[in-house]
Amino acid sequence: MLRFEKRDKTPVRLRVLVPICSVLLGLLVGSIVMLFARVNPVRVYGAIVKGAFGSAYTFSETLVIAVPLILISAGLCLVYRMKFFNIGAKGQYIIGAICGSYLALFGPATMSRPLLLTLMMLLGTLGGALWAVIPALLKVYWNVNEVIATLLLNYIASYILWFFMYGTWRDPGSHGFPLSKNFALNAQLPRIIAAPSRLHIGLFFGVAAAVIVWIIIRKTRFGYEARVLGENERAARYAGINVVKTVIIGAVISGGLAGLAGIAHTSAVLRVLQLEINSDYGYTAIIAAWLAGLDPLVAIGVSVLLAALEAGGYQIQIVMRVPFGIVGVIESSILFCLLAGEIITHYRVTLTRRLSTPLALDERARGGA
Amino acid sequence: MEGQEQLMLVMGNITKRFPGIVANDHVNFELRKGEIHTLLGENGAGKSTLMNVLDGIYYPDEGEIAIEGKRVNLRSPLDSMKHSIGMIHQNFMLVASLSVIENVVLGLESQGFYIDKKSVAHQIEAIAKKYNFRVDPYAKIWQLSVGEQQRVEIIKTLFKGARILILDEPTAVLTPQESEELFGILREMKSEGKSIIFISHKLNEVMSVSDRITVLRKGRLVGTVDTASITERELAKMMIGRDILFRLERKDIEQGREVLTVEDAQAYNDRGTMALNKLSITVHGGEIMGVAGVAGNGQVELAECITGLRHLVSGHITVEGIDVTNATPCTLASAGVNYIPADRLGVGLVPNLSTVENAMLRKYRQQPMCRGAFIDYGAACTYADGLIEKFDIAVPLKNAPVKVLSGGNMQKLLLAREIEENPRLLIAEHPTRGLDVGATEFVRKTLLEQRDHGVAVLLISEDLDEILMVADRVAVMYEGRIVGIVDAHHVDIAQIGLMMAGAVGVKA
Repeated sequence: MLRFEKRDKTPVRLRVLVPICSVLLGLLVGSIVMLFARVNPVRVYGAIVKGAFGSAYTFSETLVIAVPLILISAGLCLVYRMKFFNIGAKGQYIIGAICGSYLALFGPATMSRPLLLTLMMLLGTLGGALWAVIPALLKVYWNVNEVIATLLLNYIASYILWFFMYGTWRDPGSHGFPLSKNFALNAQLPRIIAAPSRLHIGLFFGVAAAVIVWIIIRKTRFGYEARVLGENERAARYAGINVVKTVIIGAVISGGLAGLAGIAHTSAVLRVLQLEINSDYGYTAIIAAWLAGLDPLVAIGVSVLLAALEAGGYQIQIVMRVPFGIVGVIESSILFCLLAGEIITHYRVTLTRRLSTPLALDERARGGA
Repeated sequence: MEGQEQLMLVMGNITKRFPGIVANDHVNFELRKGEIHTLLGENGAGKSTLMNVLDGIYYPDEGEIAIEGKRVNLRSPLDSMKHSIGMIHQNFMLVASLSVIENVVLGLESQGFYIDKKSVAHQIEAIAKKYNFRVDPYAKIWQLSVGEQQRVEIIKTLFKGARILILDEPTAVLTPQESEELFGILREMKSEGKSIIFISHKLNEVMSVSDRITVLRKGRLVGTVDTASITERELAKMMIGRDILFRLERKDIEQGREVLTVEDAQAYNDRGTMALNKLSITVHGGEIMGVAGVAGNGQVELAECITGLRHLVSGHITVEGIDVTNATPCTLASAGVNYIPADRLGVGLVPNLSTVENAMLRKYRQQPMCRGAFIDYGAACTYADGLIEKFDIAVPLKNAPVKVLSGGNMQKLLLAREIEENPRLLIAEHPTRGLDVGATEFVRKTLLEQRDHGVAVLLISEDLDEILMVADRVAVMYEGRIVGIVDAHHVDIAQIGLMMAGAVGVKA
């Protein structure tokens, strides 16, 4: 019979081994599903690895996906630590893309490239930040649940994008497709490797953001206040921490990074504003942040892995004609196993049988009765 | 003679290890039929572990349990229930929005899909009548007082057919009168042949209610004694292994100026009803003002109003002449107001942060820890080391979450942190609740030391013995006001008990 007991401390050995085993188990579960779909799991995994890391080009495409994930998850690591559950990164990403694109599409054509790009990135960051401040204000002043508020704002953001794409921002030359006109060269964020790679300087933004957020959390007064607030709001209030200010600054940072991710990706990779701007990275980044234990530096690595799954997924779809849904199955089996693995890191699981120590107890009990 | 006494329960050689600690080390425990048996010991002595083993929550690493001579395997609370063991936890396991009936039948397999409320109500009333108390089976739990809720817990276990009842510090939340009533019920149950295990820290209660006492210390059995053959002092010695100070030395010092004045304060509680009802109180420097009262009469709200955590609707609060009505916690901190909250892990400390990070909570805005926007964690560490040494706090790992510390050490850390701020006014709310004798003594001595330094201390406690031991004056709170203030040296407990129950008001 199984018994669960809470551990006081998790040995380091387990903390490393359990996630690794969980991922392997997830891959195994994924293969079982693949067998039902009549495909060879070994070949599929091979194709994914090849599709994600196979060549300099494929790896750079993996990084293209990782960049927004790194940016967004860095901000989420901070706000989740203060227990502000922002799941609206998707909406903040979209609004960031819209705001930055405004300058790209309607800005003064004569502006120099560095200045225009800087302003675009700033405006995108600002847009995402404002979109996150709305639920933050609702929470601190009217106690509105931020999970619901941020989630609903995602839909509003999507429809705002629809509004522009089917409305005034549509390129008359797009044959009716919901696309803006292409960004001028001045409004394209530079790429860092030669074509066809689309890897762009947003990668440096991402790494810098992760490092800065890590420093904020670990070394600054604000980070300390955020952690105290997240762990115990009453203690934070008693210590004189300004809860309103802390939550709003957190929301600004997290929303701003999501907005920056949105405009950077749009400007560097897509070079056009359209309905599909990969805003679901806003959800994937939530997973990256949690799997990283809310450590932004670890989240860089996790983001690259999740991006690899995604990039590899495109590959198997093309090369093996396997439905892209398989990638979802693999991703969720890994996640499921990782979450299940948490039980082993937090609890001691033992198999018990009848006790073996013989005692003179029976005699005494019988003698007494 | 031994053979004549029927043994209800035998626990033999129970050993339970947790990582790094042996919580129970070959402990033997016997319970006769129809006896009240007290389990006594400091915090961390292994009482809870032993009872959790009996309740099926923990499975022992070694040892055996026999009920009425039959060996049993208790793997879950359900198993224990089947073997007629019922435990009444310190924090009641009741659903506040449900009625007494619904709470009583909760989780009972014998009830089918449909609950026959009428027949359950009759059974509840029958049980209550048998033990001479009343309870309305149709009342919702939230409508009941703490004492009444406890009786519902008792009914719940009896309804399930318990013949061994475990009560974990049942009197911690009761007035003296309510405690006496509880003891009446326990004695009645005893005469019915039920066996009762009573867990308590309070020696006088233990002496008055129990037949036998088993003392544990540091996970080991010290011994089992007949209550008739032992004195309180000997018992205390068994419990902590040395004599304790029952009387604390107190210097006569000159009473200082008025430090805290509260005038006609009115405030709501979280449920939106008036918790403070035109309350007025004054505390002087060099004085400990004890606030006695049954939980829920506005003590918590009073403390929160003074510390800036709750808004006053009307009235004034001044500290050393400065108006601090509805001031922010920051302003209050600079006015010299410090607080030892009752809920250590809920208000005072941040459970998942480390000892260092908790120690610095009131200092991180100042030099040398504050370096602009950054924090110098090295300086914080040095500061924490200072507190740990000065207050003799046992901290295994400074960077481990503070929640792994024992209750006594958590309280020492909290006390140390607040006292290092050089308070003018110190508010201590149940500062020794749940602490063992050694830590309790330390906390009380520290409070007296502060008083001797001229600090005004407001001591809110339900433990009358404590208040009488350290306080200079005692204010009794009832329904949001002070019903009387008496000199702590010229009053008897019964009189205060009556005031706490709202029976009399005595003006100072």
